Amino acid sequence: MSRGRVPPPPDGPDAATYGVLAHQPEMLRAFRRLYGTLWSHGVLDPPTKEVARIRNARTIDCCYCRNVRFAAARQQGLEEELVDLVNEGWEDSALRERHKLAIRWTDAFLGDPHGVDAGFRARMLGEFTPAELVELTAGLALFHGFAKIAVALGQQPEAMPVTVLATPDRPA
Amino acid sequence: MSGASAQRTVASWLPAAAPGPTAFDRVLGLCPDLCADYHAFLALFWTRRSVDAVVLELCRLRVAQLVGCEAELRLRYEPARAAGLDEAKIALLDRWPTAATFTDAERSCLAYAEQFVLDVHGITDAQATEVTAHLTPAGLVALTEALALFEGFARFRMMLDIVPEALVLAADGRPGAR
Repeated sequence: MSRGRVPPPPDGPDAATYGVLAHQPEMLRAFRRLYGTLWSHGVLDPPTKEVARIRNARTIDCCYCRNVRFAAARQQGLEEELVDLVNEGWEDSALRERHKLAIRWTDAFLGDPHGVDAGFRARMLGEFTPAELVELTAGLALFHGFAKIAVALGQQPEAMPVTVLATPDRPA
Repeated sequence: MSGASAQRTVASWLPAAAPGPTAFDRVLGLCPDLCADYHAFLALFWTRRSVDAVVLELCRLRVAQLVGCEAELRLRYEPARAAGLDEAKIALLDRWPTAATFTDAERSCLAYAEQFVLDVHGITDAQATEVTAHLTPAGLVALTEALALFEGFARFRMMLDIVPEALVLAADGRPGAR
């Protein structure tokens, strides 16, 4: 783990799993609920969310987010060979059209949110329901923000292997 | 068209909307559990006061200026108003480095917020230490999480072109006192 910018929080299970975010236990719990709802109680399929999350992680350049995979997306077919395609050249790759649209949507979110024109909106609505599109965009808001948190607080490791984690769910 | 119907159709470019008190709610409310959890999370930043409400509001508005989110710029949060933030000071926000009205704590946090938005990898240890000196380590964590939420959902508003509304919001992001 790279040197953090915040001293360690008091010992406890949250500190072991979530690092300095455990300095704010109530906020951490609320965030885990929000993120758990997104991943485990949503309307959008996990592979599409995962494609957007990975694209965001690679653009923001958060080592932790880049190397984490969520189990639900893997179980539903997003194998590592497909994750590798979420990169330069994705337009001409073997990725599903749905996932290509999610990448393009992510790139707009990160680079030019005002630049989504009527044609692109129509293509998105041809593939996604309004609720799915809202969930994808809210997911990006969280992926983007929390990748930046890891960078800002010095919480990302210098290197880590690809690691499949349990899909986030609401805390008990 | 009835008032309720009109309220449902002018939230964004999406061809559907949920019931809700604001355009934002009528859009995010298409995912009702997500919407409820978002508001609960947001409310903690304003009610737990790990970061002063004025600092939080100045940072939220500065983030909105930097990403160009008109809808977010029209909003005001009641806790910041109650803590004394007025429109005269907000009008000087893009001149915070030189305007005398800003405190050292506000300047430190605004500098951190700008770096967070523009180039998060450019945040330095010294910058984080300076913010921590004003806020405590737990305060730095809270401010960073708040910036993440502010920037992320400003971009959410822009992507879906959520209709700008001039509103005063309570801590949970729902309409409060006028």
